[in-house]
Amino acid sequence: MSLEKIEVDALVVGSGIAGLQSALDLADQGYSVAIVERNPSIGGKMISLSKVFPTLDCASCITTPRMASVSHHPRITTLTYSTVDAIRREGKTFTAAITRKPRYIDEKECISCKRCEEVCPVFLPDEYEQGMGAKKTISIPFTNAIPQFPVMHPEHCIRCGACARACPKDCIDFLQEPAPVEIKAKAVILATGYETTPMTAKKQYGLGALPNVISPMAAERLLAPHGPYGRVLRPSDGMTPGSIAYVQCAGSRDKSIGIPYCSRVCCMYAIKQAILLSGSLPIADITIYYMDIRAFGKGYEQFYNNARAMGINFVKAKVARITEDENHNPVVRIEKQEGTSGPEEIKHELVILSQGLVPACDGSKFGLGAANNEFGFVKLSDETVSSAVTDGAGVFVAGTAKGPRDIPDSVVDAGSAAIEAASYIRRL
Amino acid sequence: MADVKQIAEQLKKLTGLRGPVPVELRDRVAAQNKAQRAVLDALKAGPKTVPELAAAAGLPQDQALWYVAALRKYGKIADVPGKGDYPKYELKGGEAK
Ligand SMILES: Cc1cc2nc3c(=O)[nH]c(=O)nc-3n(C[C@H](O)[C@H](O)[C@H](O)COP(=O)(O)OP(=O)(O)OC[C@H]3O[C@@H](n4cnc5c(N)ncnc54)[C@H](O)[C@@H]3O)c2cc1C
Ligand code: SF4
Ligand code: SF4
Repeated sequence: MSLEKIEVDALVVGSGIAGLQSALDLADQGYSVAIVERNPSIGGKMISLSKVFPTLDCASCITTPRMASVSHHPRITTLTYSTVDAIRREGKTFTAAITRKPRYIDEKECISCKRCEEVCPVFLPDEYEQGMGAKKTISIPFTNAIPQFPVMHPEHCIRCGACARACPKDCIDFLQEPAPVEIKAKAVILATGYETTPMTAKKQYGLGALPNVISPMAAERLLAPHGPYGRVLRPSDGMTPGSIAYVQCAGSRDKSIGIPYCSRVCCMYAIKQAILLSGSLPIADITIYYMDIRAFGKGYEQFYNNARAMGINFVKAKVARITEDENHNPVVRIEKQEGTSGPEEIKHELVILSQGLVPACDGSKFGLGAANNEFGFVKLSDETVSSAVTDGAGVFVAGTAKGPRDIPDSVVDAGSAAIEAASYIRRL
Repeated sequence: MADVKQIAEQLKKLTGLRGPVPVELRDRVAAQNKAQRAVLDALKAGPKTVPELAAAAGLPQDQALWYVAALRKYGKIADVPGKGDYPKYELKGGEAK
């Protein structure tokens, strides 16, 4: 396999909103950029959100144009479904060893017609829909994915050949191999983002085994216009839930799971989802069990007050335990933090755990001198001076890779990372 | 258009490289086909909710919903407009008999 070589000014690792924005900011100033994304599509977490707080703008309507600008930009090379195996510092440049994973199709020929996906006989849980929907062994990741190439998962392929027979461009290649790529760059921006705390983190909350206790990402998909069911239903039996509850800080500010910090966005996304739910299910009861509400950004307090005015029930209480009844209705045991009443058990039909944010990638593993903070996020060398400079010369960080934050903050960050990287490159 | 002989050769080579398709996967796909057929057959008698479909097709309710999501996405079934705690689904145009 011949080695593909790419030389650019900056390498951006991760293509969430922070990676996309820093790449665009650099490229618009005339710098060449390569973005490497491990997923089959660019766009990160934001592309799968329903709407965004506090404006309630459609998330994909904001993300898709940025994804398109990046993929069409003459100075940006995008590598998706690719892993960063190592980055070495050699004098003033970085050399990254990348592997393009095989999609088992010829990307130069594919016209994204989806025929392969239509005829493939094997269904798989669709991780884009948090497992609630289905995809095929060969499928295009989601409707507005960029690029629109199908990916085949050979471990789930029965080798029936239907996809290859249906493909009008003869581009299915069952024997495709991983392809190595070498990227030389003068600066690196880490924009590797976050994951949510696992559903299995807390034994008291059912360890992810209660079907109607779901993640907030799953709730985003239920609320998205093209979500798995096309409307809000609960996963155990397809019922329209009439009573929905949020459990705040279900994975943050909790030393028992090693996450003592506040994840900053959970209060706001829970309020956002509650508002959206009360829009699509006007007769549903919606309760938010919280310790305290942290509405810190511009317009956030107003957003919270609107939610209260809409009749969303805010209950200051600690949730000690979640179990379920014989119909899979989650039963929430609460201890109210106001008043003097004892513990209560309250039955709901759907519960969302407001999970916290943890780092998606260990940035220190690249050995570039960029250290982690005590929680595993990329550490800034001096927070009071710059919001993007790490301990590694020429290595910058943007977005949630350096800690929990919302989209507006991630975008601002991306701008500073781009400026810091540009001035570093100019000084070389 | 694809050359059928060439595809067969590639697949044969693949089996040489990776060994035969695992029995577990074959069984899983067979079970999927059966469940899918049962859901579609159950809908031939008329629109149904997920619990009704689950009972008619002999599937757990959460699985019946998953097949509904799958068949809906790939254009085999559609939502029946209307209110109620449990929405109903029907076969998509032409397939209802
Ligand atoms: C349920 C929920 C709802 C939310 N709703 C809102 C909202 O309404 N408004 C708002 O402002 N914020 C919201 N947020 C927060 C918002 O999602 C984040 O602020 C934002 O998406 C962060 O973007 P990012 O680019 O930093 O990270 P990400 O979107 O996580 O992007 C990181 C990218 O890097 C890739 N990556 C990671 N490691 C590697 C590697 N080693 N190699 C290659 N690629 C890699 C990942 O695959 C990913 O694509 C919400 C969060 C949650 C959990
Ligand atoms: S050969 Fe594999 S990927 Fe192609 S249609 Fe058959 S099962 Fe699906
Ligand atoms: S059938 Fe062929 S051309 Fe069409 S999406 Fe699949 S691989 Fe691409």
